[in-house]
Amino acid sequence: MMTRLLMAIACAVALPIATADAQTTLTRNQIVNSLYQTEGTVARLDPIALEREAAVRAASGGDNATGPLSDNFRRLPQISMEINFDRGSARIKPESYHAVGLIADAIHTPYLMGQRLVVVGHTDATGGRELNLRLSKERAASVMNALTTTFNVPPSQMVAIGLGEEQLEDPGNPDAAINRRVQIINLGQ
Amino acid sequence: MRRLLSAIAIAMTLLAAPAQAQTIGYADAIDILSKSCGADIQKHCASATLANFGIGDCLSSSPISNTCSTALTRVTASLQARAEAQANAERICATDVRRLCPMTEAGRGRILRCLLKAAPSASDACNTAITNAGWR
Repeated sequence: MMTRLLMAIACAVALPIATADAQTTLTRNQIVNSLYQTEGTVARLDPIALEREAAVRAASGGDNATGPLSDNFRRLPQISMEINFDRGSARIKPESYHAVGLIADAIHTPYLMGQRLVVVGHTDATGGRELNLRLSKERAASVMNALTTTFNVPPSQMVAIGLGEEQLEDPGNPDAAINRRVQIINLGQ
Repeated sequence: MRRLLSAIAIAMTLLAAPAQAQTIGYADAIDILSKSCGADIQKHCASATLANFGIGDCLSSSPISNTCSTALTRVTASLQARAEAQANAERICATDVRRLCPMTEAGRGRILRCLLKAAPSASDACNTAITNAGWR
């Protein structure tokens, strides 16, 4: 009886707090949940080798990328976010500051503290492949820079790479907006 | 009955503690700036970047509105307080760590996760430090 009463009171007290900042908590925690690593999600990924492979493919010519670079991606804890940049530039638009702040808040929780994270930039297939590769590298670096300076994330915890249009999210619709994304991947400790 | 009531009082205090953070997170801080300083950012800082404190530095050296100036002061103070709480938490919680997490291997947030689980038994000072550090 006593336990049930206490629990009821606990719920009554906790509810207003949860509602007050449900939006923020939920979203930060969603990022934490997506990136949280368990033993079942360990996979090997060498981000630098992957970027090198993307550069070779982008330089091979042709209009559109032929297929995904790696399937290892899917086995790692990750989240894809829409972050908007100025056209043809790596400057993050003010409307996306909130998203970058949320990533920072998530990385600062004890659940992601000390994990090695890769920021991966992707473009759609509009425009040249090499140009897209360069832009995606600059944009990933821009997100990482914001995180490691203004948002106080230790730089040793992060690496940024760009894959251009070489790893489309939706290869059936290469120009679709869903392909333009910044992906955060957790490599673990 | 009195014991029950005091147990309830303690439970309420503990549950309420995380909501009373004296600091705010980065996403909230940026939101306050976007809302209060949106027009000023557009007017004075159109080419400033988010990295390297670009927006904050640009705003503080520009002729901004009073609303924006107040928000900037508040956000800066809160983020500084959060950074300080992060830096000091280890020292503040040292006794709690020895008492509550003696077998926990240090590093990668493991001790912090132990302290979070042990929050009802941890000291008020340690719980407050963890809350203000944004680690809950």
